[in-house]
Amino acid sequence: MSNTSYISRKQELPLKSENTSLFLQIIISIAVFIFAITLSGVLSIDSMISNWNKSILGSITVQIIPVNNTNKEKALAETMAYQEKAVEFLKSVNGVTKVTPLSDEQLDELLSPWLGDDVDISDLPTPRIIDVKISPDANIDFAQLSMDLAQASPQATLDSHKLWLNKLISFADGINLIASTVLLLVAAITSGAIFYTTQMSLGLHHNIIEILHIVGAKDAYIAQQYTKRMGFLGFLGGVIGLFFAVPAIFFIGNLALKIEGGIISDASLGFGDWTIILSLPFFAMFISMLTAYYTVKQTLKKML
Amino acid sequence: MTNNKNIIEMNNVGIRYGQGPEILSDIKLSLPQGSFYFLTGQSGAGKTSLLSLMYLAQKPSRGQISVFDHNLNFTNRDQLASLRRRIGVVFQDFRLLEHLSAYDNVALPLRVGGMDEREIKKRVTELLTWVELDSHMFDKASTLSGGEKQRVAIARAVINRPDLLLADEPTGNVDNIIAGKLMKLFVELNKLGTTVVIATHSDKIINDFKYPRLHLQNRGLHIYYPSDTSMFGGLNV
Ligand SMILES: Nc1ncnc2c1ncn2[C@@H]1O[C@H](COP(=O)(O)OP(=O)(O)O)[C@@H](O)[C@H]1O
Ligand SMILES: [Mg+2]
Repeated sequence: MSNTSYISRKQELPLKSENTSLFLQIIISIAVFIFAITLSGVLSIDSMISNWNKSILGSITVQIIPVNNTNKEKALAETMAYQEKAVEFLKSVNGVTKVTPLSDEQLDELLSPWLGDDVDISDLPTPRIIDVKISPDANIDFAQLSMDLAQASPQATLDSHKLWLNKLISFADGINLIASTVLLLVAAITSGAIFYTTQMSLGLHHNIIEILHIVGAKDAYIAQQYTKRMGFLGFLGGVIGLFFAVPAIFFIGNLALKIEGGIISDASLGFGDWTIILSLPFFAMFISMLTAYYTVKQTLKKML
Repeated sequence: MTNNKNIIEMNNVGIRYGQGPEILSDIKLSLPQGSFYFLTGQSGAGKTSLLSLMYLAQKPSRGQISVFDHNLNFTNRDQLASLRRRIGVVFQDFRLLEHLSAYDNVALPLRVGGMDEREIKKRVTELLTWVELDSHMFDKASTLSGGEKQRVAIARAVINRPDLLLADEPTGNVDNIIAGKLMKLFVELNKLGTTVVIATHSDKIINDFKYPRLHLQNRGLHIYYPSDTSMFGGLNV
């Protein structure tokens, strides 16, 4: 017996020796590199937003700045009137579940660490504070709320830190939208590169494909050779891209940590985020295979 | 299957390339199962074109074709592939996959059909030995001589035991002795039930084997039977 069992079956389409392979691999590596970094940005911004959201959601505080008047009694009465207006307004806001003006005792408690126990706050023009509970699924525009509140009760102001966070969240949302567009574009470019190289290759191997058809090959048989090859190139490109992207992500993360204010410290990649990033080569493989399959099927329709 | 079943039927078939004139017009043809035909006509008469309709590499520009009882107007791509698996084709220029071995070329029709590699190995080895190519089994097709390539091409065409065998001037490039051997192979396959159509220029072959002829002339098809001796003497094909 000859050793025919050792024949390694060759693919009918010589796709391994195509010189577009290197081109594709470089394209896919770069695509995955950009994709991974952008994605890590998106994911950490997401975690940052959700941390911020947690601190905003639930409750906000409204401050009533005390009215200045030499007549203490009158000043307090006016301040309380503003508080009443603010409470009334806040109760009418959609998404607000509970509005509680803090009592004198509660205010005392809040202020005593600063003023000491002996000070009677009723002697001082202290701000009044209203605790406002918000339903978790409320979609409140805090900037608008702040303006409306000032309209309803000129002495009332929304907690400025939360207002600022809210603006930051809008900004981060915007960044995320742009980043997501970049992700889509990068995926589209990868897909496009696979589409054109596959189409070119199909044209190049027109004769072989014709013979395959004549001996009875279905389109899926030919498509399979392309999905195999493109899937391999996609995966390899993905691994190479990731190999460079992971250190870059750590590097960028370290830079971000050095930014003051601790804002960025809310941005971190969790286990789930890393799982997504590290699975990018499989994602690249999947896109490559899908595109190749679709391209072959579509192109062959016009052939024999 | 009944005995009078037709493998191929054509009605009002016309072929044209691009916007050119029809090179074949109003072709009407029935090939009964188990029949053996020569296909003749001058160079450029349309033999290769007619064969390409039969092996489903081309659609007619008009008319109806049925192959194995399937009207090609209502046959999708996957069904076409299944029909093609029942057809063996020997091309004038072989059309081997030059970068593959003789073995892989012959195995091709079995592989696209999804046959088990062990069974493929058995069949291909057997057939390549039979056409005396066992010593070249794993040589690349591109390194084989013309005669060797032809035998690979024929082995590829018959490995599937096709119901229909089409050969385009298969004896065009070989000497009379090999031509005779090839013809014997085709005759044997025909006896086993394969319907055979062979396009040829060779007077000698046509005269040696008394099979009916499909003759292409003036864009039309004419059928001559061996008893019709006047046609065999009179036509210079
Ligand atoms: N792919 C093609 N494109 C345009 N014209 C073609 C093509 N194939 C064949 N022809 C023309 O069709 C006619 C018949 O050719 P063919 O079928 O090859 O004849 P034969 O095999 O009998 O020599 C010829 O005039 C040839 O020039
Ligand atoms: Mg010809």
